[in-house]
Formats: sequence, structure tokens, C-alpha cells
Amino acid sequence: MAAVPRARLLNLMKAQCEVFSTTYNPDGIRMGNKILRQRLRGPTLAKYYPPKGPTIGTLERVFKRYELETINEEEEDRQEHLAG
Amino acid sequence: MSMFRAKKLDIGCFVNIKTIRDHSKRKAFAQFEPERQALRYIIRNTTLPPKARAEAQLQLTQMHCYTRPTQIRGRCIMGGKGRGVLRDFKMSRYNFRMQALAGNIPGVKKASW
Repeated sequence: MAAVPRARLLNLMKAQCEVFSTTYNPDGIRMGNKILRQRLRGPTLAKYYPPKGPTIGTLERVFKRYELETINEEEEDRQEHLAG
Repeated sequence: MSMFRAKKLDIGCFVNIKTIRDHSKRKAFAQFEPERQALRYIIRNTTLPPKARAEAQLQLTQMHCYTRPTQIRGRCIMGGKGRGVLRDFKMSRYNFRMQALAGNIPGVKKASW
């Protein structure tokens, strides 16, 4: 089998890079493209702790217009403690 | 640092200063990650002039330590502990055992054969 000339291989590589839209870098120079290929880890890392859910106080405020009665024991205890 | 801390408590799990701090670090890292990656790209790119790369190195080292990913540590969401935390369950080994025995973790069962 005849050896394929290097220039021809390089042409093939160039065409490949165009098709798959990657950087043509035959000499293997470090261009830092691997940094650009990395995905951003920030959003997943920031979601580690569960977000704060609604409390009785916030629910009271949201559904104020329906004039519902809510029992907020903690608030009652606090008021009692303040009074007595 | 307090400038990265949320003005209002925004986590709903076990809260102590260590979990709040870790959460602030996570948010700071998420905010500054594109900037860090851009600087890292400039540093690794050998086709750029050496002066620009050295400047990028300096800038990266002078960023606040809270924006560094190595500052982030997995902490237990049940007790805030920093050691012996099972990453898959975000829980320390003792809390994991208690929750697993109570049947609160789906698909986890005590081994027996």
C-alpha cells in the first residue's frame, strides 16, 4: 500500500475541521480551546442547597384577599410571650 | 464574605453559618465562572502575546477567593457537617443512616443476605 502524502492528509484534516466546525490545528499548538469546550458548572453547583419554601406568614400575605383564617402557632406563642 | 451573602435567608435546609457561607461561595462562583474561564483561556492560549497571558494570570489570582471553585465543599443538608458527606444524598453518614432506616430515601434499603 502506497503511503499517503502528508499534504493530502492535512487537506483532509482541514476539510474535517470545517465540516465539524472545530479548530484546524495540525501542529498541536496549545490554544486553550479545551477551556472553551468545558461546560459551566456554576448553575448546578449553586443548586446544591434546597431553596426556601413558603411559610405560614408568606402564605397569609399571598392569600390575604380571600380572607381565610390561618393558625400561626409560632406567632401566637410570640404574642403570648410578649404579653405575659 | 458578607458582600456575597444573600440579604435574606434563601436556603430551606439546615442553616448555620457554615452552610450559609458555603451557599454564598457557590453563588459567587456561579456568577464569576464565565470571567474565570475567559481568563483561564487567555492563560492557556500560547498563541497570544506573553504579556497578555501574564496579565490574565495576575487578574485570575487577584479575584476574590469566594469565586474559586476549590472553596466549595459538599455539606450535609440535614446537619451542616462538612466531613463524611455522601455526595449522592448530600447527607453526612449518620444522617444518611437515620433517614435510610426511617425509609425517607427512595430506593435505599439495608443490606441483608
